[in-house]
Amino acid sequence: MESVLEQSVAANPELFCPAVFGRAVHALSRVGDELWLDPTVKGLALRSVNSAQSAYACFIFSPLFFQQYSFMGCVPKQSSKTVKCKLLMKSLLPLFRCLTSIERNVECCQISVSASSDWVIIQFFCRHGITKTHNLRFQEKEALQAEFASHLCTNVLKAPARLLGDMVMHFPVFQEEITLSATPLRFSLRNYEESGESQVKMMYTEMSLHPEEFEYFHVDVNSEITFCLKELRGFLSFTESHCLPVLVHFDSAGKPVCFSVEDTLFEASVVLATLIESKSTDSIQPVGIQVHATSRYVDAAALRVHACEGHGETGRERITSSQGSTVSPQPDPIPPLPQTQQANKESISVNTSPASSMVCTLLFKALSSEHDDNVCAATPPVLAGYSDEEMMEEFCPKSPSL
Amino acid sequence: MKFRGKIVDVACLNHFTRVVTTISKLTKTCVLRLNPDNLFFVLSGKVANGGVSMWCELSQANFFDEYQMEGVSPENNEICLELAPENLSRALKTIQNAKSVKVKLTKKHCPCLTVCAELPTLSSISRVVTHDVPVDVIPKRLWHEFKEPSVPDYDVSIYLPPLKTIKNVVDRMKNLSNFLVIEANMNGEMNLKIETDLVSVTTYFKDLGNPPWGDGASQDGGPTQSRDPDSMAEARVDVRKLQQFLVGQQVNPSKSMCSEFICTSSTSVTKVSPKAGGACPSLHPRYRPSECPPPDSAA
Repeated sequence: MESVLEQSVAANPELFCPAVFGRAVHALSRVGDELWLDPTVKGLALRSVNSAQSAYACFIFSPLFFQQYSFMGCVPKQSSKTVKCKLLMKSLLPLFRCLTSIERNVECCQISVSASSDWVIIQFFCRHGITKTHNLRFQEKEALQAEFASHLCTNVLKAPARLLGDMVMHFPVFQEEITLSATPLRFSLRNYEESGESQVKMMYTEMSLHPEEFEYFHVDVNSEITFCLKELRGFLSFTESHCLPVLVHFDSAGKPVCFSVEDTLFEASVVLATLIESKSTDSIQPVGIQVHATSRYVDAAALRVHACEGHGETGRERITSSQGSTVSPQPDPIPPLPQTQQANKESISVNTSPASSMVCTLLFKALSSEHDDNVCAATPPVLAGYSDEEMMEEFCPKSPSL
Repeated sequence: MKFRGKIVDVACLNHFTRVVTTISKLTKTCVLRLNPDNLFFVLSGKVANGGVSMWCELSQANFFDEYQMEGVSPENNEICLELAPENLSRALKTIQNAKSVKVKLTKKHCPCLTVCAELPTLSSISRVVTHDVPVDVIPKRLWHEFKEPSVPDYDVSIYLPPLKTIKNVVDRMKNLSNFLVIEANMNGEMNLKIETDLVSVTTYFKDLGNPPWGDGASQDGGPTQSRDPDSMAEARVDVRKLQQFLVGQQVNPSKSMCSEFICTSSTSVTKVSPKAGGACPSLHPRYRPSECPPPDSAA
């Protein structure tokens, strides 16, 4: 089965396409170590997820972005019509490392993906007749995709281009997590530190501004969410360089937050998991992002229910379609942490199956709203929360197969 | 104990930030002393062997539009805090375009110096940024450690050439040796020397000028008059410490002086820089070499 895709990106002086593409790669490199390249009829999607599965970024370039976009799908054996490639970020990023020299020298950039040979070929046609060809080997993977129903979010903000960047600049570069707090009258960001001894001597920074500064400010539910700042920064530098206003969709703590921008030629979004409870110490339950098969939502929901009971056996049940996640907190008996860890460790150790059988998809609660309310009530959002990174790593060793 | 200050002028804020940043490059923690007239940043000299001590005096009127403080008690109207200048520098660096900056002593999760800035916006309501810099209050019984140091009678005092020039020289010399000898005389001549088994390198500076008696340094003492102007006073310092001092300099001094004294073998580099409109903050980092120079270098 062959599917060949050819795309050409012309260095249109008005659009600086290869540089835009390069900036997208840069932003994605701040999120994860691997990049999913997903050519479809609708456009070329670049996606990445971080190792803790608490941040996901997606850039979709429409065919109009390209000078020439030819996509030849073929009769599918299975549901997938196209080849889905996973590339190592460290192979791809160096090609776009120096954006200024790309802007100056590259006249045309061609990206070809060939399933039969497992290569992604990126060619830079530069000035003075120089052509640089890079062959990158990819791994064929199922698509990485997160579904996030932004229309279901209660709070929506639209921030002018520089606003968010100006806010996060006050926080040190090494600041890992940040707490966003929104009420109808006030919007603020402050740095978040895990509770502990180190908390006492930390420098705290808080920045607040009036809703007037936003182009659109709709906060129905007062909320305080804590999420990763590091992954967001890469996205914000992309949006700032294009002077695009940023849409923020979020809910209460525990539900994911989505930052997105839209342009005629591309759209980009980053979805971040939030802590279940921002400031609590004891009640932070390690909640991972559950990763499920794309196939059926019902299965996923059902699995989540089982998972919440937290038995070792059901832990194993999750093996077939999920990876690396733990029990979501329940008002009813929550399995004690060590047990959960153990269950997960087992599930993970068994689950190191070859890459091709692994499925990587992130589902959000929004999807489960199609099912009965009981399920919804009982199963907190999938990409709901994430614990401290350390805790995640304790029982979610970085699985190379993801 | 209360402290509340407000900076409104952009230039004052900028200058204050640069002073704090300079200090943050010299040391990880230092002591901030506050009294009704001045602020002092002090690094107490654990200078037994090749260490650095620092004393920086700022007149509050030069920076703050409003300044109110209440010390520990009416008789001891002072506040003594230990903090990490790096935190304060970080807090100040991002708010350089603020309409106003308030600095206050607060108690949050711990005693803090809270920097609260109002940033300009297009809308009528400003953005507010608050940084809480954790501090430790130093009890009165330890205040004696952070007194203004007395500068002993020095033998030679000389104006330094532009610090950039010295920095370049010192940077090169650092690669060759760990210790550097600074020698100077009252004739405006200064040499920087390093000596190793394989090589010795000397850089000569001439016509530097010597400050008149008692100028600059705010303490008593001055060069001994009876000294032969040509004879060099020599001090050996750790190159890395000297480089640390030179690297951190952001205050653009108009005058910097190096004063040396043989007896206790220490070198004091004193910088004096005028601030637009007023008196100078003086920054006295002091370096003690770990070894005395050979006695025959004395006049």
